[in-house]
Amino acid sequence: MKTKHYKYFTFFTLILLCSISANAEDLRKIVSLSGNWKFSIGDDSRWSDPTYDDSGWDQITVPGQWEDQGYNDYNGYAWYRKSFRIKEIPSNTTIYILLGRIDDVDIVYLNGRKIGSSGKFPPDFKTAYDRDRRYIIPADLLKENEENVISVKVYDSYLSGGITDGPTGIYIDEDNELLDLNLSGKWKFHTGNDKTWKSADFNDEDWKTINVPSAWENEGYEDYDGYAWYRLEFKIPQNFPSGELYLSVGKIDDIDDVYLNGEHIGNVYDLRKKSWMGVQYTGWEWTMPRAYKIREGLINRNGSNTIAVRVYDGQGLGGIYEGPIGIMSAENARKYKNKHHNNNGYNSFWEYMYDKFFGNDNSNND
Amino acid sequence: MKTLLSKNKKRTLFISLIILLLSASGKAFVSEDNLVRLQGLEGKWQFSIGMNEEWASPKFNDSNWESIGVPSPWEDEGYNGYNGYAFYRKKITVSSKYKDRMLYLNLGYIDDVDEVYFNGNKIGSTGSFPPNYSTAYNAERIYYIPAEYINFDGSNLIAVKVYDSEGEGGIVSGDIGLYGGKTAANLDVNLQSTWKFQPGDDFRRKESDFDDSGWSEIFVPGKWEDQGYRDYDGYAWYRKSFVFHTTTGNEKMVLLMGKIDDIDQVYINGTFVGSTGTFPSRSREEASTGQEWEAFRGYYIPDGLLKKNQKNVIAVRVLDTGGDGGIYEGPVGLITQTKYIEYWRKIKKEGN
Repeated sequence: MKTKHYKYFTFFTLILLCSISANAEDLRKIVSLSGNWKFSIGDDSRWSDPTYDDSGWDQITVPGQWEDQGYNDYNGYAWYRKSFRIKEIPSNTTIYILLGRIDDVDIVYLNGRKIGSSGKFPPDFKTAYDRDRRYIIPADLLKENEENVISVKVYDSYLSGGITDGPTGIYIDEDNELLDLNLSGKWKFHTGNDKTWKSADFNDEDWKTINVPSAWENEGYEDYDGYAWYRLEFKIPQNFPSGELYLSVGKIDDIDDVYLNGEHIGNVYDLRKKSWMGVQYTGWEWTMPRAYKIREGLINRNGSNTIAVRVYDGQGLGGIYEGPIGIMSAENARKYKNKHHNNNGYNSFWEYMYDKFFGNDNSNND
Repeated sequence: MKTLLSKNKKRTLFISLIILLLSASGKAFVSEDNLVRLQGLEGKWQFSIGMNEEWASPKFNDSNWESIGVPSPWEDEGYNGYNGYAFYRKKITVSSKYKDRMLYLNLGYIDDVDEVYFNGNKIGSTGSFPPNYSTAYNAERIYYIPAEYINFDGSNLIAVKVYDSEGEGGIVSGDIGLYGGKTAANLDVNLQSTWKFQPGDDFRRKESDFDDSGWSEIFVPGKWEDQGYRDYDGYAWYRKSFVFHTTTGNEKMVLLMGKIDDIDQVYINGTFVGSTGTFPSRSREEASTGQEWEAFRGYYIPDGLLKKNQKNVIAVRVLDTGGDGGIYEGPVGLITQTKYIEYWRKIKKEGN
């Protein structure tokens, strides 16, 4: 669903994204999913079943809008299916599926299990046509050297429809190599804000689970803006490297406060260069890579530890949306920040420009 | 009193407007561009002045009627000075080789108002008969003929009721004939017929027990400008009750609403089924619409909503933000999802 206006808007957004992408996560494709997919218009919940026989289905090229592939004028539901094999499932990393952009709404199943969704299906329709689809694949869901089946249910309101453009494939995040302990995966999640949620002994049993890293809009919180908390309990493995440790919580939209075992270890503004006489420069928080130093003695190397992250999202996508998530050495934390930061402490050209326009008075006082 | 000159002027204006619209959008609604002429229907038609409901039926014997030339104003065919009602009738054979296509009857330009029957079934109407008379002399008549009304390879009867207020009258000009469009959807319930219609906006109108007996009637599909609502822009509601006869199991059904100018919300038995475009949150706000009017509507009906072999009510809220308005192009009706998938596969094949 896009009008001409939206097209210009998309174009502008694309330019914006391109300029930021130099700083985006380092994804490496391990399986390509572009090319021929099975396709049928209509909607049937059985079509998510990996054993469903789709041999009689039509074929379609992905990415590409279905209007250009014989379905001109078609609006409504359609399903895409594709199977793929993977020789060796990479370990100790985060595996993603990228499906480019989907017009308007989608829900994605891998081997019959839902792995992500964007937008809202009717009756409360909401498009997500301009959002990049990137969902975490739970490692236990992938089968090595066997057929894996992806099924994608799409709803298009009108105009172009389907998996329209952008990269499609299975990817791993190369930044995960910086981690000594990968903590991405299922975390506990609760919307709202309560300061008792930071403490290590808070009982979060009845909280919902959520994939980390992934914008919460992809995880069923489509319209949610405001406060939310993430929690995770973890243990340090035996023979863990000694020395100074950092906790990386990747990139967060927008503002975070990170607690380890009840103690505040950082927030995004701790990472900002404080050169403006105490006046905090705000904006572009969502582009900042977060790796916070863990003070000596705070982490429990033998028992359990609890991370609590309070997130405030002003608008648009929200939450811990990009990795690496986990424990890393001081050296790797520096590498990670350097890779995603330029030397001025600005995270992108746009952040720099923003500062030049709106932060002038402060820098003169410097 | 309208003169020929002003008529032609208006017609030229209308045609240039259409051309402008087509070139601007690149996509046409039912226009001759998309249609292939299969069979000419010019020549002698049976004709009688007056009006009688029986004359629409194929059973009526018109052998002692007069034959007149079509297209031509009846003033030129011996009825100079006649104004009022008249009927045209013609028998045609439709070859079964056209069975998979959408078939249309092109009756060119009719002065002023018409109502068209195919084998006794009303397939369309343009303009508005007295007492709420409204002319549509400058609208081209292209009517979709639902396949279920057609007796393929046999005899079929076209009956056209015409009302002329003044000046020229009858089927006056155009490329009269049977035309073929794209692949036809094999509808389970054809809803191309007379609906209840009321301008204005009121959400109580979506309820199945809402009393619409005082509403006027309109033929769907067809823009409302051609059916007595000239220059009307804004909100309007359509309602239609029908019995869903079915012998099939619990197959998913799709409601085809064709094309609607500009945006719509559709309810079945009071429950929301689908929508195209964004309505303003309050009716007084201005709506912003784009290309919604070109979008083909196929709404998947939630399971369990349609009552089998019982009465169901469809209510459609339409907002027209300017120009033509209403449910203006078919197919309109219910189809099983299985047949709908086949339909699109055929369309794809046809396009390649």
